[in-house]
Amino acid sequence: MPEKTPPATGAPPEQPDAVPAGDAYTQWYEVKKGDTLWKIATEVYGDGSLYPDIFKANQDTLSDPDKIQVGQKLRIP
Amino acid sequence: MKLKSSFAGFLTFVLAAALLAGCANQKEPAQKAIADIEAAVAAAGPDAMQYIPDQVEAVTTQVADLKSRFDQKDYKGVLAAAPAVLTQAQGLSAAAASAKQAADAAALEAFNAEWTTLAADVPAQLAAVTKRVEMLSKSKKLPKGLDAAAFEAAKAGTDDATTLWSQAMTAQAAGNMEQAVTTARQVKEKLNAAMASLGMSTG
Repeated sequence: MPEKTPPATGAPPEQPDAVPAGDAYTQWYEVKKGDTLWKIATEVYGDGSLYPDIFKANQDTLSDPDKIQVGQKLRIP
Repeated sequence: MKLKSSFAGFLTFVLAAALLAGCANQKEPAQKAIADIEAAVAAAGPDAMQYIPDQVEAVTTQVADLKSRFDQKDYKGVLAAAPAVLTQAQGLSAAAASAKQAADAAALEAFNAEWTTLAADVPAQLAAVTKRVEMLSKSKKLPKGLDAAAFEAAKAGTDDATTLWSQAMTAQAAGNMEQAVTTARQVKEKLNAAMASLGMSTG
């Protein structure tokens, strides 16, 4: 995944009410417009290159690291 | 007439002497009765004061009353009242043991309940914090709002929490629930502090 991945579009998630499973301490990030996994990794870890860990933690809802949607809730390991 | 008067005086003397002798005879038993009661109270030990203070106070109040009667030389009164007080005093040990057993059982039940909650909660929290520390350790640069000192403190706190959680589980396995719960509470405190430092939400 290149550093400049396609940003999240304004399109709503396919299942907006579906919240992925997790325990009380699972950390979540709600995708905002313009977000990329790289950008999210930079925000939460300080290092965008760690984005694959976020992708792996969300493989039940993400099939492509370049395709995230506004409003989508991602697990942040 | 004179003989009659002398006899009356003698009789009075004899009666007074008998009364004094009677009193003297009752003094020691009365003293012993009070001492026996005090010994029974002392034998009940500190547990009695801790678990059945009202019953101990009721007996000590009666002992004070007996002593007051004794000081007034009412030995007969002391001897009449002492057996009932002694019975109460002798019952203090058993009552204290019973109350202690009930208190211990209630405490154990509370510890078990708290442990159940902690055991269901701590592992997930520990895993989440450990994972975040692991991620941040891999990061070339820390995120905004987290400096190196705070991160190192959170990391140390997480390591401590891991060690303490292991100790808590060992204590629980050994049946030492008080130790298990006390240690698990420390784990929670350390994890909550680490989560706050790392900017993690607490669920």
